[in-house]
Amino acid sequence: MKHYEVEILDAKTREKLCFLDKVEPQATIAEIKNLFTKSHPQWYPARQSLRLDPKGKSLKDEDVLQKLPVGTTATLYFRDLGAQISWVTVFLTEYAGPLFIYLLFYFRVPFIYGHRYDFTSSRHTVVHLACICHSFHYVKRLLETLFVHRFSHGTMPLRNIFKNCTYYWGFAAWMAYYINHPLYTPPTYGAQQVKLALAIFVICQLGNFSIHMALRDLRPAGSKTRKIPYPTKNPFTWLFLLVSCPNYTYEVGSWIGFAIMTQCLPVALFSLVGFTQMTIWAKGKHCSYLKEFRDYPPLRMPIIPFLL
Amino acid sequence: MAAGAATAAAKGNGGGGGRAGAGEAGGARKKKGPGPLATAYLVIYNVVMTAGWLVIAVGLVRAYLAKGSYHSLYYSIEKPLKFFQTGALLEIIHCAIGIVPSSVVLTSFQVMSRVFLIWAVTHSVKEVQSEDSVLLFVIAWTITEIIRYSFYTFSLLNHLPYLIKWARYTLFIVLYPMGVSGELLTIYAALPFVRQTGLYSISLPNKYNFSFDYYAFLILIMISYIPIFPQLYFHMIHQRRKVLSHTEEHKKFE
Repeated sequence: MKHYEVEILDAKTREKLCFLDKVEPQATIAEIKNLFTKSHPQWYPARQSLRLDPKGKSLKDEDVLQKLPVGTTATLYFRDLGAQISWVTVFLTEYAGPLFIYLLFYFRVPFIYGHRYDFTSSRHTVVHLACICHSFHYVKRLLETLFVHRFSHGTMPLRNIFKNCTYYWGFAAWMAYYINHPLYTPPTYGAQQVKLALAIFVICQLGNFSIHMALRDLRPAGSKTRKIPYPTKNPFTWLFLLVSCPNYTYEVGSWIGFAIMTQCLPVALFSLVGFTQMTIWAKGKHCSYLKEFRDYPPLRMPIIPFLL
Repeated sequence: MAAGAATAAAKGNGGGGGRAGAGEAGGARKKKGPGPLATAYLVIYNVVMTAGWLVIAVGLVRAYLAKGSYHSLYYSIEKPLKFFQTGALLEIIHCAIGIVPSSVVLTSFQVMSRVFLIWAVTHSVKEVQSEDSVLLFVIAWTITEIIRYSFYTFSLLNHLPYLIKWARYTLFIVLYPMGVSGELLTIYAALPFVRQTGLYSISLPNKYNFSFDYYAFLILIMISYIPIFPQLYFHMIHQRRKVLSHTEEHKKFE
């Protein structure tokens, strides 16, 4: 069996970083990354980007050396992706924050509102309901992170955790401050408004969960396969007929419900910002689907049926 | 910050009237440049803006000579100042449609901060209009903009006199701190009046469960100058070294 030689050069300086001889033809990029780490332990595999061209796209971990357009001496270019952190860690941190922070405001912990309000309780039912909904939402997200989601990538750049946590924790504090404020004004249309909003919220939470489960079932454990998602027997998944990313659609719906329930402008602003970000993600995902699958259903829009 | 941000330059703007701030890379860019129609429009735009700021400059000088003092000159140039500074909002659109190779985000930030100072501070809080700090930033902006817009005009016509390039990359050393000082002092002067009148502020309780304290907001704006000003200033110094030494090199080989 003919062995390959692999040399790894720095993509920017073209400096020779590593030379591997006697590499199996069926070796994967993942295995090569592991070999590279041996000589440069500070660059663990997750922060390595290896490519055939210094300015080209990263090779995937699953790519096999033999199948790449290289001679028996392969030249790979390395780029450092920077310190990495696992998706699971980021998700758990960014979701645990809002759960905890909201409760600080709900229980009116000292130094937030005036001292005479310390540890008092709101007299509005909707405030208690809002706390339950908000907490439920983030508990659901934490559980999904631990037990439901199957991630394509193991890691993301470290600086993302600071960015993401600032966003989630900041908004959570801002919303919670007003909803749990002693001078909070309940919704204009009273119980009617709250009931409608609660219905929207619950439906969208169930919908979002159904989509997460459907997406999970598309992909076997430990794999990174990608398939077109289709509606299942669960009616909540029928939204797949009209949108590529119904999980985002339901998520926006949940927050709109929460905004109507609390009639709180900061919640509406949070929903708007979230909607903007999710639309960008949905459009990206939609484009990826279109590129990857020739037979992708043409009726589907990225996030809002028929519109967006 | 608004003063300096606007002086922050891109490496010699060949085909466009672009501008850069702390974030713009100095690396190689695909030089497509705007088409002939866009170039004609941009030349007209930059000429008009140069003229506008010259009008403001002349207005200041005439008012000073007429009054005999440099106090309260704002009133004599209030209208053209508002018109031409607000007109700069068009530059955001120029970036958005791609006829100018600059970042929309950066340009928005720069123009918005100027517009904010003109309308949300100076116009809104009448009591600060007679402050000397207003004159400080108006002068800084006027000189900066005259140079900047003529720089773009000449660049578009591919005929940039070294003097203009030199001025753009040198005068900021004094003009930027001068402008920043004027801006900060003006915001500071506005504070007590904002507090007194509750300008642009909403308090609880209200049916949207929202509050906004413009006084606190202005203080946050002032604090934001601390990280932003040094970044932009040193970026300009760095650009100056690159652009002016590059020209020196060029001259050597001629």
